[in-house]
Amino acid sequence: MRDLLRSSSEGGGFVPPSSGDFELPPIFGDNVYTTKPIALVFLSVILISAFFIISSRKAAVVPSKLQFAGESVYTFVRNDLAKDVIGHDFLRFVPYLFTLFTFILVNNLFGIIPLLQFPTMSRVSFPYILALTVYLVFHYVGIRKQGAIKYFKEIMFMPGVPKAAYILITPLEILTFFLVRPLTLSLRLFANMFAGHLLLLVFILGGEHLLQGVIGLKLISPFAFAIGIVLTFFEFMVQCLQAYIFTLLAALYIAGALADEH
Amino acid sequence: MSNREENAMWSIFGYLLSGLLFWGGIGYGLDKWLGTAYLTLIGLLVGISGAIYLVWLRFGRQ
Repeated sequence: MRDLLRSSSEGGGFVPPSSGDFELPPIFGDNVYTTKPIALVFLSVILISAFFIISSRKAAVVPSKLQFAGESVYTFVRNDLAKDVIGHDFLRFVPYLFTLFTFILVNNLFGIIPLLQFPTMSRVSFPYILALTVYLVFHYVGIRKQGAIKYFKEIMFMPGVPKAAYILITPLEILTFFLVRPLTLSLRLFANMFAGHLLLLVFILGGEHLLQGVIGLKLISPFAFAIGIVLTFFEFMVQCLQAYIFTLLAALYIAGALADEH
Repeated sequence: MSNREENAMWSIFGYLLSGLLFWGGIGYGLDKWLGTAYLTLIGLLVGISGAIYLVWLRFGRQ
């Protein structure tokens, strides 16, 4: 795709990376389903399943290195995310949160793994669907726990507030719970991955372009690559953090729906 | 940052955003309908005060 763009702008003008770089052509065939992001999603599912099946297959009291690695991830989600946030009755949400965390984490990390190098979550539909599942789960849990009428009443009418104030704040509560929450959840993940990938593209493709220039530009090029490498480590941090925040907020929303008064 | 602070931060952000969107949106709609120009601003102000009031209710009073 980029080669095409470059050869079309003969004379070597730099083509800055844009949102077009995220619209990848299908790997084979002529449809919208065989694109790289979809292949990456399948790959992530295979990788995650394989890793946790292998790491837990020969579970022993004295764990192997692999088993230890698998168990640390699980323990982290179970204790630091589910148990701390949801409190008692947390166990039935652990599988969901664990899936969410590992799925997002692996798909984010694809952004900096050599050869793959595309964060799946930089295509906005994937975060949308993930946020939709969170949305369904936490409302379902809340309705089941408290009954539909009580649940919606708790959201809309906070106790201990003068009646006139409800006109001002009830619409805000409704909007926050039913629109802003899932939207910010998905857009935060999407925007972080999108911007991060774009940033890496700018520095690494920019470095490559400088390398093709005159000698003065060639000398600057290593700095662009160096910044690109530093930013890759920075991206690694952001990718882990975003997977964590998404799961944490999912747990917090579930906890809020379960609590008698939030 | 602790989980509690993380929760507070994003809740506050959510309230402020929905405050601006909802009351600002109503102000904008009224502006279009009545042909005035100042109701969007009033709506935004009402929205932000409502959101801050809500944040205070949820996190401020103990």
